[in-house]
Amino acid sequence: MNEENFYQFSTLTVLALLVFFYGGTYLLTLLIKKKKENTDAFMVSNHQIGFGLGAASMTATWIWAASFYGAATSGYTYGISGPLHYGLWGALMILFIYPFGRRFRKLAPNAHTLGELIHARHGSSSQLILASSNILGSIISLMVNFTASGALVSVLSPLSFQAGVIIAGVGVLCYTLWSGFRASVLTDFAQLMAMMAVAILIIPAVMFALGGPQTLSEGMSLLTPEQANLFSMDAILNQGAPFFVAVLAYAIGNQTISQRLFAVREDHIKPTFITATIGYGAIVIGLGMIGLMALMTGMEPIGGDMNNLIPQMVSMYLSPVFIALFFILVIGSLSSTADSDLSAMSAIVMADVYGKNIAKNKPDPTKMLFIGRLTMIVATLIGVILASFSMDILIMLVFVGALWGAIVFPVIASCFWDRITNTAFTSAVIAGLVMFCIARFELLPLVGVVGGLFELLAAVGGGVVLGLMAFGFCGRRVGLVFGTLCAIALAYFSIGFLRDYTVLLASLMAYGVSTIVCIAVSLMSSSKFDFSQIDQKVINYDPAKPAAKG
Amino acid sequence: MQTFILALYVLIWPLISLAIFAVIGIATVKDIRAAKRNKRELV
Repeated sequence: MNEENFYQFSTLTVLALLVFFYGGTYLLTLLIKKKKENTDAFMVSNHQIGFGLGAASMTATWIWAASFYGAATSGYTYGISGPLHYGLWGALMILFIYPFGRRFRKLAPNAHTLGELIHARHGSSSQLILASSNILGSIISLMVNFTASGALVSVLSPLSFQAGVIIAGVGVLCYTLWSGFRASVLTDFAQLMAMMAVAILIIPAVMFALGGPQTLSEGMSLLTPEQANLFSMDAILNQGAPFFVAVLAYAIGNQTISQRLFAVREDHIKPTFITATIGYGAIVIGLGMIGLMALMTGMEPIGGDMNNLIPQMVSMYLSPVFIALFFILVIGSLSSTADSDLSAMSAIVMADVYGKNIAKNKPDPTKMLFIGRLTMIVATLIGVILASFSMDILIMLVFVGALWGAIVFPVIASCFWDRITNTAFTSAVIAGLVMFCIARFELLPLVGVVGGLFELLAAVGGGVVLGLMAFGFCGRRVGLVFGTLCAIALAYFSIGFLRDYTVLLASLMAYGVSTIVCIAVSLMSSSKFDFSQIDQKVINYDPAKPAAKG
Repeated sequence: MQTFILALYVLIWPLISLAIFAVIGIATVKDIRAAKRNKRELV
């Protein structure tokens, strides 16, 4: 099938492209390599990353191979509004975290992970919930990225799927292993510049190769009324809304983001995250347009597999040079995310597991560094094995997403409200996860009183999401009022309706239930937390580096 | 008119990408210069 439908590189050409990419990236990291790396710098650099490198790293990390394929699939399925409903909400995940990120930095200027902050606030159980969900999420992300590499290599060359997986795994590990997060940030910049340059060229190239704007205009007749509608309800309910719900969950639950929050210079957090938001949105929505153009030309994805859309369009309409650029685009996107996942996991095991729970805040920096590098090697091995055997662990992503949804309110509230307790945190997360599973897998029939009750809880969850977003930008009073009004409005519209959209219902319930339980259990206790303790407990581990001032 | 709007809708994204490309590129050059001036590491 491959030879007939996709352009085929020779084995030598594809190996040369991979050696050029990974060899060049490795050489770049030699510029910053030190014989003896600093433990803290290995996790978060010097807390002084500038605006340019910070924005580039944040954007490159957030764009993974699935971003292109997902946006193109959305464009092909939902038409005009499809790419917007994929890229816009993904971009807002970056934007909505920065107000909370500034609070995290203020409370714990020397933190390496969000888990450390939660450890100082609540103790081990809450911290380990966060850490374990992060590790699981990063392993899945690694597997997906290595799988994308295997699929790309096997589709565009005679090399096998496994060869593509192993080359990506070894390539990423080689340039990240020694300098950790520092290498990740530096290479992210080069990778993003390459990705942007390719995206800027490929999108207009595909459009004009198809026959220009006139062809698109004629292709409008192939769209259904729903696909031609910029405000399609089908696209909003099936694509936009579930993504919107995940906005805060993925931002809070993902160490790759919080690592950059703790690494960027504090006064650069806002411009860094705003630029990354726009950059991510433009690249991903733009590449999603290739899916829309495929729909408008009446193209059918080979074998009905939507992941073939972009490679098929590029193979059919562009020259081999552009196909090589597309190859670099996908390898760059998956590598930048994979190296960030490796850095994130190593920081979690170094700081959250070893630093806080084994060494009790008095770690040996040399041993800590060794543990971080060992974590990278083990994580790469696991990612390569899972990807090579095409193991279906994506169901785990459902649980990780639910877990992240359930921790959003407890994490944010713990940083602003002194009455949240460890019991409230853990019980809220467990309750949110249990109720998510009941709704998601329909363990109880979603009819009658149960259906109505679940829809009410989901409405509360919707109010929590919107209220937290308003709170982040406009303060507590606006957040409370806006969240309450939204919950009431959502309750009115969702009763008898939302039960037909179980993914959305279950995700919103995770937010709603965890919030209700967290508040109720916290109010049962009269204890109050002194936030100044966090800065004292979250420390630098390597005496070679001076502490950042709060 | 529809043709123009459709072309704009598709091409606006690479244009925005180009602008961000320039912003990040210029900011990084400034980061490198500042690091050299202050004799500290870039990352």
